[in-house]
Amino acid sequence: MVQRLKEVDVVIIGVGMVGSIVGKELAAAGYKVVGLERGEARFTVPEFQSPAVHDELRFDIRKALMQDNTREPVTFRNNSSETALPVRRWESFLPGTGLGGSMVHWNGQTYRFQANDFELATRTKERYGKNFLDKDVTIQDWGVTYADLEPHYDRFEYLLGTSGKAGNIKGEIQPGGDPHESPRSREYPTPPQKEHFQGALFRKAATSLGYHPFPQPSSNLSQPYTNPEGVKLNACVFCGFCERYACEHYAKSVPQTVILPVLLANPNFELRTGCQVQRINLDSTRKKATGVTYIDTAGREFEQPASLVITASFALNNVRMLLLSGIGKPYNPQSGTGVVGRNYAYQTMSSVASFFDEDVFINPFMASGASGTLINDFAGDNFDHSGLGFIGGAFIGAVNTNGRPIQYHPVPPGTPAWGKRWKEAVVKHYNHTVMFSLHGSSVSTRQNYLDLDPTYRDAWGQPLLRMTFDFPQNDLKMAAYVTAKGVEIGKAMGAKQVAGAPRTAPYTTTVYQTTHNTGGTVMGNDPRTSVVNRYLQSWDVPNVFVIGASAYPQNASWNPTDTLGALTYWAIDALKNRYLKNPGRLVSA
Amino acid sequence: MTRAIQPLSSAMVCLLALRASVDFAAAAPPAAGSQPAKRPGPAAAVVCQSCHGANGEGSPAAKIPRLAGQSADYLDKQLRDYASGARSNEVMQNFAKPLSEVDRTAVAEYFASLTSPSIAPNPRPTDSQLARGRQLAQQGAEAERVQACDNCHGPDGSGVPHSAPYLAGQSADYLAAELQSWRQGKRKNDAGKLMSSVAERLNDADVSAVSAYFSSLGAP
Repeated sequence: MVQRLKEVDVVIIGVGMVGSIVGKELAAAGYKVVGLERGEARFTVPEFQSPAVHDELRFDIRKALMQDNTREPVTFRNNSSETALPVRRWESFLPGTGLGGSMVHWNGQTYRFQANDFELATRTKERYGKNFLDKDVTIQDWGVTYADLEPHYDRFEYLLGTSGKAGNIKGEIQPGGDPHESPRSREYPTPPQKEHFQGALFRKAATSLGYHPFPQPSSNLSQPYTNPEGVKLNACVFCGFCERYACEHYAKSVPQTVILPVLLANPNFELRTGCQVQRINLDSTRKKATGVTYIDTAGREFEQPASLVITASFALNNVRMLLLSGIGKPYNPQSGTGVVGRNYAYQTMSSVASFFDEDVFINPFMASGASGTLINDFAGDNFDHSGLGFIGGAFIGAVNTNGRPIQYHPVPPGTPAWGKRWKEAVVKHYNHTVMFSLHGSSVSTRQNYLDLDPTYRDAWGQPLLRMTFDFPQNDLKMAAYVTAKGVEIGKAMGAKQVAGAPRTAPYTTTVYQTTHNTGGTVMGNDPRTSVVNRYLQSWDVPNVFVIGASAYPQNASWNPTDTLGALTYWAIDALKNRYLKNPGRLVSA
Repeated sequence: MTRAIQPLSSAMVCLLALRASVDFAAAAPPAAGSQPAKRPGPAAAVVCQSCHGANGEGSPAAKIPRLAGQSADYLDKQLRDYASGARSNEVMQNFAKPLSEVDRTAVAEYFASLTSPSIAPNPRPTDSQLARGRQLAQQGAEAERVQACDNCHGPDGSGVPHSAPYLAGQSADYLAAELQSWRQGKRKNDAGKLMSSVAERLNDADVSAVSAYFSSLGAP
């Protein structure tokens, strides 16, 4: 029997970073807000404390913080001719679950996208002509500009306390920062983290080649910080347990350390954990949401009526929620019509390993998830792509995040994968290797998309999300080009042996790459090619807002979280100042 | 004036008189009640032993910390900080300043190499103090946003060489005095303000409880 609960103003699906920020703002504005989180409540104390939180087997290998894929996996195939199978062990990407969401296990790398990224289709045509791209590429403009988002980037970074060095303040290039960045209104809230040895080696080599190295912007803080919400954070201790882990020191900016204490203190907000939302309910017109239906951990079904529904889940789950609820037309890759699930994109991760002699000590374990030094000279559209046959690029950086013993053991190509010779190579190279990350962009294409799986269902009987993805030719060309540049830097560092590993096809879900899954509920100005308008409001059901990286029409060269934070504040601005005062469409279709 | 070490022992008063040119070769008498040194140390250590005990066992009631088995890196850094004034303590500064780099390292390594049984706290802390202290040490406190001491100081406060000193078996009065000093911003020779940001969130009762708890544990 379904229990119908008392109506509230707002129901939020997923209490991660987006859900926490939206909840805080709307509860503070006087609205009754319920946050539904499928996972458990968890806090720095006691859940994230040492030594349990440094259990590499539990968190790295067995993925303790991730979505339970014995109950709710994703199915995957490389192309439409294959039959997708459930991903039973997360490897390629790691969607989180629980209070605080995936951000709890992030690395803290806090980049803005560049102005060009938000108008990618227009700018690409302007600079390289109409026929530059492969026919299957479906990149498009976002419907918002960098200038629209700048104040919201700023607000988000000051919420996090991000440690970095500005490269461009109001158009003035700042020494020591990234000269390629789009103008920011002021300096980062806190100075950069200390540069580790591999970062220093990289900086010297990159400078000698005429590039522009700068310290990675980090939300593992360089010094204690009190954010504008009045919440205090500590300085990072460089323990090297960020990604896949929660921070025990109140030093990594996550919902628990930047906003949850304020949100949970507001009586207008009610957090309910263990709530698996089944669908957003629509009225008979199918143009208005009436609330959501969820099942709790005891298996009881509830209907939570609400005037406004906000899906604030991980990108993939936002897409699935709309498909399960029948909101928006599902994408059909054969006809190219429909929008929900369209323009799923990823990121194209390559690497370069530089092996030094045994008298050069790298100490890779002394790192944070976002320490290190990098260049943007080959990222985005910061270099001329004429004649190269691709768009996009990658940042190249000595930004290795850890030296954890089970997962980190760089060895030169040709080393056996196990046995005595492998062990000898690990011992020889562990402390004498610099790993560059080449963090590459991803174009959207006609054949990469998300839909509901026709065969497999979750523990509640609902169809799983099906991912159909392989690397576009554009991105493989980009990876090869940028990796060659990375190898040159490795050589300039004086390494004895440098091995580039450009990303190659086919895409596999069995090797870790990145959790930067984007698209599927794309934002834009045209309802034929977007699911939500420029304020992240559903074109079809105006009292549903879909806030997440699922809104990105394609993916840029940088980690997506900062942009998601900016979009969140941008959407909240529209919600608070326009929508909630006069509910209805914010953009006429 | 900050003075973590008081009252001064008579031996120290004698030595203070010599502070302009401390003669490390002149063996000072060991602190009262101290067992003779189990093995001889560098000449420069003799001065330390007069207050910190022949085997580095400390003098808990006088807030003089034990040094036996403490991380050499930590001891070396503290001596450097005393000498430079980065850690403020008039008595220790007078001893640390004249030490050459070689002597300083020798002293630090010598005390790091010693073992000495812990001295039981007196008076014994109450059960509720120990319970709160254990909670702060092992788990932290979300309401105060204080993480577990053991995160950095190692399991049961046993210390992490190169990074954080052991706390187990340390003088409770010394630990409490230092925590208060961090809390009040008088001691600030920590990297990234790691200690001061924790200490400023503790109240007097928590300072006493966590100090008593660590003191009640056997030294590593």
